[in-house]
Amino acid sequence: MTHYAMVIDLNTCVGCNACMAACAMENQTPVWDKNKWRTYVHDKEIGLGSDVQRRFFPRLCNHCDNPPCMTVCPTGATRKKANGIVFVDQDLCMGCGACAMACPYHARVPVTRRDMREGREFYGSDYRRTSPSMDKCSFCDHLVEQGRKPACVETCVGYSRMFGDLDDPNDPVAQMVASGAARALMPHIGTRPNVYYIDDIRWRG
Amino acid sequence: MDVNMTYATQEMWTWWLAIYLYFGGLGAATLAVTFLTDMYLKPNRALVIWGAGAGVVLLALGSLMLFGHLLDKTAVLTVLNPMAMLNQSSAWIAWGTQFIIWMMVWGVLYALPYVRETEFPHRVPGIRDLIDKPFVIGTSKLVQRFHRSVGWLAVINGVGVAVYTGLLLQSFPAVALWHNPAVPLLFTVSAFSTAMAFLLVLMYTLLHDQADEHVRVLYERIDLVLIAAELVILFSLYQYLKNGSESAVRSLELLWNDYGWLIGFIGFGLILPFLLELKGVMRGWGSRVPILTAAVLVLAGGYLLRHYFMYAGVYAYPW
Repeated sequence: MTHYAMVIDLNTCVGCNACMAACAMENQTPVWDKNKWRTYVHDKEIGLGSDVQRRFFPRLCNHCDNPPCMTVCPTGATRKKANGIVFVDQDLCMGCGACAMACPYHARVPVTRRDMREGREFYGSDYRRTSPSMDKCSFCDHLVEQGRKPACVETCVGYSRMFGDLDDPNDPVAQMVASGAARALMPHIGTRPNVYYIDDIRWRG
Repeated sequence: MDVNMTYATQEMWTWWLAIYLYFGGLGAATLAVTFLTDMYLKPNRALVIWGAGAGVVLLALGSLMLFGHLLDKTAVLTVLNPMAMLNQSSAWIAWGTQFIIWMMVWGVLYALPYVRETEFPHRVPGIRDLIDKPFVIGTSKLVQRFHRSVGWLAVINGVGVAVYTGLLLQSFPAVALWHNPAVPLLFTVSAFSTAMAFLLVLMYTLLHDQADEHVRVLYERIDLVLIAAELVILFSLYQYLKNGSESAVRSLELLWNDYGWLIGFIGFGLILPFLLELKGVMRGWGSRVPILTAAVLVLAGGYLLRHYFMYAGVYAYPW
């Protein structure tokens, strides 16, 4: 069985935001609203005094094994594929926002009728969305089904985003997760996320 | 992980959802209390009609607040189907929608025989035509035959609505303020407390019948106990937040440093009505003004509780 996961190396992310642009163009997200990107790279200063560092922190839907967004969804619009990808059925979603309230990773955004009007102007006749709904990263499942990688991974200039199969012991992503070098965000909440972060520069030697 | 945490309050569910939760709890508990009163304490036609009417109207208004903010209103048909409860058994909104619908249905049915017996509806043209239709007369006779069963179906669904409002908030694991067992307890107790207050307002103003005095006294006493229970739950919640995660501590700071919460809700919405009702229960009142004041304050406090609860839910993000 395939179990998709992503590893993001914070040491090699240069904050170019190419992942954001690639995701937006691939998935036709509402780029006119900075709160509605499916993936977002935060630009942070961490540390104190002379130890201050600039750190870029990409975030996206964590495609949890125990996704609270799915358990609270009243219509069943949020579902999980056998390969671990959590997705939203746009036609079934009524947009109550419960999934956004439940998500600990701030990975849900509302796409309104107004966004759709703007989308038709911005993306032209190729615009695919047919109904308003809550929106989220789908690990570009339409690309993954073709044997490709998510758009953000394909475009990452620093190779900081890696995508692979946790159930394949030969996959570098699975090996990195198994080694403990890549860690999930906020595991104490019990969501069992499938996006992992490498944040220790020493690990890379 | 070597990152800064940021703490943010949500902007998606704000005052309009607080109104939904408030009207949901208040309307459902009002209906449940009036029907139980009618079934087991004292048959009371006027109280049932007002209780059922208020319950249905409040629930409808509250549901409209939620419906108005749906992104795709046609997709709501999915949750109107009772199968949604089974297909999405972990989703409290699916349960809540069904509780609300069936509470309204059984509530209207329970009140129907009383409505037909009452003079006023027969003078209103639209309603008179409706309640005199053979189908409605037949339904009314059938309901009368199984009146208590219908009443219990309405009560069960009503209690379901009152409890669900807190369970809904508890189902969001990332917010320490909401994701704890005190919340469903707090919201349920508050729903029944505000329902008692609402019924006291009704009984001291529109339904001022001397024969109902013992019902009013009972409501006052129950409300007193409920306010005390609410204060105990709030104290437990305070202790939980004080010693909890950073998100919990931030929520505590937001709530307990806000005069609207501290003075508005706890002071004027709980402690002052508690003292007023305590005085009334222990020594009685010469006038209905103090108990009406207490009831109005409890009603306002019920909204403030939900308003500030929505506003103070703090998420912790590791970026």
